[in-house]
Amino acid sequence: MTHEYMVEIADFIARYLSYMLGAGVHTSRVVRNSKRLGKALGVDVSIHTSQKTATLTVSSGTGDRDTRVLDIPAFPISFEWNADLSALSWAAHDRRMTLEEVRTKFDELVSKPGMNPVFVLFMVSLANASFCRLFGGDIWAMLITFTATMTGFFTRQHLMKNKVNHYIVFIVSAFVASICASSALSLGIETAEIALATSVLYLVPGVPLINGLIDITDGHIQIGISRLVNAFMLIVCIAIGMSITLMMVKDSLL
Amino acid sequence: MIAIDIISDGLFAAVAAMGFGSISGPPMRAFPCIAILAAVGHASRYCLMNFLGVDIATASLIAAFIIGTGSVFFGKKVFCPMTVLYIPALLPMVPGTYAYKTVFSLIMFFQEISSPGKGNEYLQEMIYNGSVSFSVLFMLAVGATVPVFLLREKANSMTRGSCFL
Repeated sequence: MTHEYMVEIADFIARYLSYMLGAGVHTSRVVRNSKRLGKALGVDVSIHTSQKTATLTVSSGTGDRDTRVLDIPAFPISFEWNADLSALSWAAHDRRMTLEEVRTKFDELVSKPGMNPVFVLFMVSLANASFCRLFGGDIWAMLITFTATMTGFFTRQHLMKNKVNHYIVFIVSAFVASICASSALSLGIETAEIALATSVLYLVPGVPLINGLIDITDGHIQIGISRLVNAFMLIVCIAIGMSITLMMVKDSLL
Repeated sequence: MIAIDIISDGLFAAVAAMGFGSISGPPMRAFPCIAILAAVGHASRYCLMNFLGVDIATASLIAAFIIGTGSVFFGKKVFCPMTVLYIPALLPMVPGTYAYKTVFSLIMFFQEISSPGKGNEYLQEMIYNGSVSFSVLFMLAVGATVPVFLLREKANSMTRGSCFL
């Protein structure tokens, strides 16, 4: 294996790794998949990860090695990439694919269009309305939650598109959703408090929370704690956004 | 009547899981599995809590374990890693009302900080609700992860030979 070819492999594995970490895959899966991919292409791979960067060493059997530090891009969480890129590493391993084939397949997989944002908006609103029902809300509370979530999630989508700081996005969308839901109080709906409580739950960062715990139980304690702290900060932001509403309407809640 | 309650509980949980799951962009083929897992998980927690008198943390642990085990079975069918299926399925069990009450009591505690009696009450309520929400969240994550450790080999080769590539 020539040095140039090994560097080419390292370039590809670096991309593969940063895409997976950026899309919110838990660390042990990323490490396992990258090692498997490296083995399929004939190199050894060692990785150290943290929240925003990763260190990668690729070595061929002959003592030639390439080490680099890479930035992890902030992609939206994508389970589809998680499933497809994992399958790619197995395919490379089982079908003995060449670097060129794997790279073409990778480009094809990551350029697949994501879900339609309007469809997601509708689904999330519906989900939050059912959530309201699970907590004991009546049909009117469900309707209020549906509209409040739609407004809040729409705000979030637009702020995210304009690359606003994500803490601010969370505070503003939590505030917008809860202020819309607080209209249930003035309309005199019996289960208004449940509507108010559920309206912000679409923001709860479930994926980083569970990923953080998985990482810790897998022994990647540092990045696990980073993820949990990250998720905790977002939860604090939701609480701040909702508190602004609660301060305004607290008299009608008591 | 009881049967209708259980079924509607499962149904709403399924809708909630699919909706919250769609934020994280799962592949289309995963949606039916997510719906089934969420419905079974939430309905079994409902039964445990309402008919057997199990507390919310233990019931969540058992339900999460059921979801985790189910995701091993379904993951092999649709070639998805377990996390893709069980994270959305767990979301309807997030203790939302308890979390809300924690924040609300915290705010009311600061409002009533000068009157010791009422302030104490709100502080107590905050700790009560906070510990319930934290324990339930923790139990959910632990319960769903245990099957990964029990079935290590199977859980790690879920996407092998995928026909969706």
